[in-house]
Amino acid sequence: MATLPAKLLRLGVIVSVLGGLYLVALKKHAERDEIRAAAVELTPGCKAKLESYALEPGADYRSPYVLRTMGAAKGIRGYSADDVRAIQRGCNIVDDTQGQLAKDAARERWNSGRFMRGKYASCDHCHQGVGDKQDAAGNRLVGSNGLAASWVMADMYDRFTGLLLPYELRQMQCYINSSNGFKPNAADDLLRDVTAYSRFLSAALDLKIGKHYAEQGVDEIPASATLRRGDDYVRGAHLYRQKCARCHGPQGFGTEVNGKVIYPALAGPNSFTLDARMNFHRVNTVMPGFICRNMPLGEEGSLDNQSCRDIGYYISTLPRPAGDKQGPLVAAWQRLMMTVMPPLTQYAESLGGANRPALQPALQTED
Amino acid sequence: MDRAKGEDGKDIAAGPGRWPTRFVPLIKPLGAVILVVGFVLWAHVGSGIARFHSQVKSAPGWDRFRDAYGLDSFGEDSYFVRAAQNGYNLFYFTHRSGWRFTRKTAGDAVNSCAACHTPEDMAYAFVNSDRFDSKLGRRLSFEESVMRCYAEHMDGFVPTLYDPAVRDLRILARSVAHHLQLGEGARRGGS
Repeated sequence: MATLPAKLLRLGVIVSVLGGLYLVALKKHAERDEIRAAAVELTPGCKAKLESYALEPGADYRSPYVLRTMGAAKGIRGYSADDVRAIQRGCNIVDDTQGQLAKDAARERWNSGRFMRGKYASCDHCHQGVGDKQDAAGNRLVGSNGLAASWVMADMYDRFTGLLLPYELRQMQCYINSSNGFKPNAADDLLRDVTAYSRFLSAALDLKIGKHYAEQGVDEIPASATLRRGDDYVRGAHLYRQKCARCHGPQGFGTEVNGKVIYPALAGPNSFTLDARMNFHRVNTVMPGFICRNMPLGEEGSLDNQSCRDIGYYISTLPRPAGDKQGPLVAAWQRLMMTVMPPLTQYAESLGGANRPALQPALQTED
Repeated sequence: MDRAKGEDGKDIAAGPGRWPTRFVPLIKPLGAVILVVGFVLWAHVGSGIARFHSQVKSAPGWDRFRDAYGLDSFGEDSYFVRAAQNGYNLFYFTHRSGWRFTRKTAGDAVNSCAACHTPEDMAYAFVNSDRFDSKLGRRLSFEESVMRCYAEHMDGFVPTLYDPAVRDLRILARSVAHHLQLGEGARRGGS
């Protein structure tokens, strides 16, 4: 039986450990408060976006976009300095999720790297135009994954998950599937700031709660929207080399220049997982829809529906990480494929490479 | 406990028609298992209670509310409407539907969200949420406001962020905001 001093010592150790943890938690909270109060350095994309929407602290907010498009803008509740900073941080997270443009990535992006594997993923890759893609005339583009339109339709039934999906949970899915990572807490600043930014966008664009807008999500392309020739690997591979490989690389590993990711990975350990909606083998309408509306950059709309489906099919055959639903065996298999297939494919393609379209030399720097 | 032993020293039945004494210790656990299984079978088969039902109990005034705010056509599925209906029950009959999170009873004057708020209040609060709260000195989400109501005004306990007691009130607010065609930051009576 333990003696009294031994008992006291044990009690002291427990109290010290718990007290230490409490102090660490207090320190972390204080750090977060400090970051919330600090001025935000905007990325160039966010600077342009938020300036165009005249975001600044004030009692009222009138959207220049609404004024321009509707002729008059109704005043709505303005934003405090704290709200403005949250919106700015949210915009930065969407534009540059992993902080490649930040001086202190961990601090300025709420340590987002904790929730992602690899350094390629960024919200802006799928939610282009900093989550608000418009053409030169300022028209919002159909099927451009607009964040504001998603916000006003959040909490609706989601046919992929069977849930009434709150906006924060949807963001968590992005971190898990699209970024091959881990989900942040629903109350984490990382999610809340993106929500604040999305909500601001919906104010700037004057979107109404519960109304469906054309820029929400992806304009999906089912097989019925084609001539029903069937989705073809060979056609897809050929089109990929012609239209996609110059940016995403011959094997879909993305492009990195001077340590900065320029184009995202479509395959390999840095890409989205088997569970992602972008994976053609999981949902065969989303990736083709995204390609047709948003790809290739600068030539959007140049591909027909069948070509988009062929490319989507081909991309889905490239090795990528398993999702969290597939289990360790599939994960191990996918990892093996991601290691073995690229050199084998490279070798096989080198044997008959003469007939293949040449890649732009400047963008062949694959990771 | 004395046990009857045979000549070879093994347990024997205590008498004609009696169990061997080595089974006696199993009677209580077996009885408990039979009791639990019997209850489960009764609950599922014999009680008449719908199993794993997703229907929400229809509270007085729901049909009128549903018509008034056009809930039938919103959300494009009954799942959303059921959540809004649960939100309605929570809003008007908090002491019954959200009893886990409130100490209020039918006898208290202020025993539901509706005692202080209207559905329109909820809708306007929703589109003006996630803003800086000067009293608290931080940004406050709609869900946190609901949690604070449970803890303070309802003298109760805080549900988690994911609890239907919070989610369905948000969905109710969202559906009313949709009916009123509110956008982010909308003010009552316009600008």
